[in-house]
Amino acid sequence: MTHLEDSRIIDLFFVRSEQAIEELDKKHGAAVRKTAANILADRRDVEECANDTYLGCWNEMPPQRPDPLISFVCRIARNLAVSRLRRETAAKRNAGFDLVLDEMEDFLPSRINVEADYETKELVSAVNRFLSGLDYDDRFLFVRRYWFADSVKDIADAMHSRENRVSVRLFRLRGKLRNMLKKEGFSV
Amino acid sequence: MNREEKFRALAGIEDRFIAESIRYAPEDAVCPSERIAHMKKKRVITFALAAVLILSLGIAAYAAGFFSMNRRVPEKSETFRINWEENPSGYIDWSNAKLAVTFPETAESREIEFRPGWLPFTLPSTLAGSSPWENLDADTWFRRLTAEQLPLSGSPAFVPEYEGMSQPLLIESYSMSQFSNGGALLLLYFTPGEIVEEHWDEPDVDVMRFHCTQHFDAVPEYNMPERTLGQNILLLSNADAGWVIRICGEISMDELIRVAKNLEIRETGRVLTCDDFENHFCFFDGGVG
Repeated sequence: MTHLEDSRIIDLFFVRSEQAIEELDKKHGAAVRKTAANILADRRDVEECANDTYLGCWNEMPPQRPDPLISFVCRIARNLAVSRLRRETAAKRNAGFDLVLDEMEDFLPSRINVEADYETKELVSAVNRFLSGLDYDDRFLFVRRYWFADSVKDIADAMHSRENRVSVRLFRLRGKLRNMLKKEGFSV
Repeated sequence: MNREEKFRALAGIEDRFIAESIRYAPEDAVCPSERIAHMKKKRVITFALAAVLILSLGIAAYAAGFFSMNRRVPEKSETFRINWEENPSGYIDWSNAKLAVTFPETAESREIEFRPGWLPFTLPSTLAGSSPWENLDADTWFRRLTAEQLPLSGSPAFVPEYEGMSQPLLIESYSMSQFSNGGALLLLYFTPGEIVEEHWDEPDVDVMRFHCTQHFDAVPEYNMPERTLGQNILLLSNADAGWVIRICGEISMDELIRVAKNLEIRETGRVLTCDDFENHFCFFDGGVG
């Protein structure tokens, strides 16, 4: 299947063509649904989340002209999926997502106030610095697990590696980040 | 604060990290600046060691004579002004070339022609309408020889084992003077694999050879499966006379080498300068030029 270039898709949003959503779905729909499905269990919720993501894109473009487009749409999908979880029952939660959250307890500061912009920015800035210092494989592991909430099996498949090996590397990465955050004054 | 909120807090991870993680592709990874800084010291040592190695290799190369072909992978944004008949100007600025091969600045090249001493197929005695295949005999010399009619089942020169190929063999000569003033022999579509550089004493030429591929995604609406085309390319160059010969095609590299080793080459007596060429770029792969 041939896809439009991202810049052409964004052009379609700018001229308010509904074709924009069709082309966006054709090109990045799989990534959007995967991002939502890692968090939400119900397929209908995932589909609704994908539709809400496209609506979000419609509202943001213009004026935004995101580059890269793929991380922009996945970011919207991720935020919408987490928001939907907060409104829904625990049964709507993807079981694997709980494991990801458990692991994140390992390195996320216990008393950070995410409503306070300053603290969140400090934390995210530290995590970005941490990622900058990693090699590609470790960055891929970390981002797929704690941003996309991928299962260990999916990550191992993508990297042609073994699940056990991925788990061990993730364990080490969590320890490394925890130590770094402690040194920077976060109470982990 | 609940755990979902913590998960949400990580939403601010930078775009570049998200984008590079959409699919596992270590070859496309952008090394972040901080990591570059971290590696700087290590690189200084590496560069120092590399410089010593290059210097010693350079001395060895000088003793053995210079290799007459240089290659580089152009930046994606680098453009080359190439012939393009469909454009009103007759040219197009081509970017994203996969390989550029350059030669020593050469004011004058001696024009050559060649005659194959061995081919993996029988040269047809005649192929109407297909110059220079018309009225071939043992004395026919070429500046360009193509075998593109051999895979065609309707052609009198049809070779069944080549069915499905688009170009089993192509031999073409160039003059180094064409590539003076910043010109280059370009690989436009295909991506080269490992490149072998060597010197042959017989014939006395520098040789660059590699396999290259071009991948096409499946197009289900046209019932076309995903596919990868491949071809082998072998370049012979003689810096003293200023000529280059490209031998390429979908037949095996071993066969191309055998073709090259058995090629008779002679000078026509004509001398070609940079001014004899309108364009200073030429192309390894078809479709253009």
